[in-house]
Amino acid sequence: MARDPALAARVAELRAQNAALRDALDPWLGEALPDRLVAATAAPARGARRFPQWLGLTAAAAASLVIGVGLGWFGRDASLQHDGMPTTFTRQAALVHTLYAGDVNRPVEIWAAEEKRLVTWLSKRLGFPVHAPDLNGVGFALVGGRLVAGNEMPTALFVYENADKQRLTLQVRKPPTPVEETAFRYALENGVGVYYWIEEDCTYALSGNLDRTQLLSIGRVVYGQLAAFEAAHPK
Amino acid sequence: MTASPPADPPLPQPDLIAALPRLRRYARVLTGDAARADDLVQEALARAWEKRRLWAAGSDLRAWLFTIMHNVFVNQRVLARHERQHVSLDAEGDGQEAWQLPVRAMQYTRVELMELVQHVGRLPVEQREVLLLAVVEELRYEEIAAVLNIPVGTVMSRLSRAREKLRAAFAVPSSSSLKVVK
Repeated sequence: MARDPALAARVAELRAQNAALRDALDPWLGEALPDRLVAATAAPARGARRFPQWLGLTAAAAASLVIGVGLGWFGRDASLQHDGMPTTFTRQAALVHTLYAGDVNRPVEIWAAEEKRLVTWLSKRLGFPVHAPDLNGVGFALVGGRLVAGNEMPTALFVYENADKQRLTLQVRKPPTPVEETAFRYALENGVGVYYWIEEDCTYALSGNLDRTQLLSIGRVVYGQLAAFEAAHPK
Repeated sequence: MTASPPADPPLPQPDLIAALPRLRRYARVLTGDAARADDLVQEALARAWEKRRLWAAGSDLRAWLFTIMHNVFVNQRVLARHERQHVSLDAEGDGQEAWQLPVRAMQYTRVELMELVQHVGRLPVEQREVLLLAVVEELRYEEIAAVLNIPVGTVMSRLSRAREKLRAAFAVPSSSSLKVVK
């Protein structure tokens, strides 16, 4: 090719055309994804989705609970620094988050397409009804979930992901001995933010590499939905 | 509990989400219209879930999704032609706004790139999709042939015709001037 200037010029021209086309069309890739398309990547629901309906019915109840949690959180944060919750809990939650949410291809055992099977299985293994909150409203779609070993009790793990491929995990378990309810509390473990709370004898940990306010607002959504779920499915 | 028969394995949703920007871009090149492009992507995703047993896990999900979307597009176009005669989706002036350039431009001036995008938009859809898949998505000719269900020779001839038209219409700056433009 070095000896054929015409060919070399042609190749250079093709390369320049390729580069121009990529420069022209690559920026489209950086545009924000519409919610409806992100939602369409999830497995289509079999039959009607019942979730929004009961959420609507219990929205008022959930909202009042969220307000309660919000007030409680601001008022009680300082006094609840250490009681009730083993300090290792948040560390373990962050560890589990890093281990599974960091696994790009296999973060979960059962994918969101089989959400019903996932929830049934986890409920059976944990010994009480669990529920994967719908976080599409805040931009996170359920990826799936798995069972993980807790300190003494098995833990249910749900993994969520947003359009930027950021992942959130929600961990749910029942401590071996009943513990007092707490309001939202926050810990930062090795760069992973963890919001955790105890409610109805269950401990919850919401973990992610998000900033604290964003994580808190998602935590409130989770809390509201779980509260509504519990109201509909008393243990 | 009775064990239900195993369902088709789900598609990996993270990979679907990762493929979304490229699907949207391909759809926009096909339809020439941003809103219709997203409709097409949505339809293609629904079809992908229906047909998920046809996807061999571990194989290139992006190419498979391109195939599905291409088929959905072709089917829609056949229907549209039945409904409205004399309407060519290849026509220039169809959905102009999709051919507007996004904000960022690098080696070329914004005006130059905008012209190029306009020229791409005026190519027949068969040529612009081959151009996108070959040059921008960098699929091999065999892969493009599989996606579009056409012979490899047709891929190559469409690509070279697209390139010639762009070359005639849009003088790509010579490589020596590339760095100068700001």
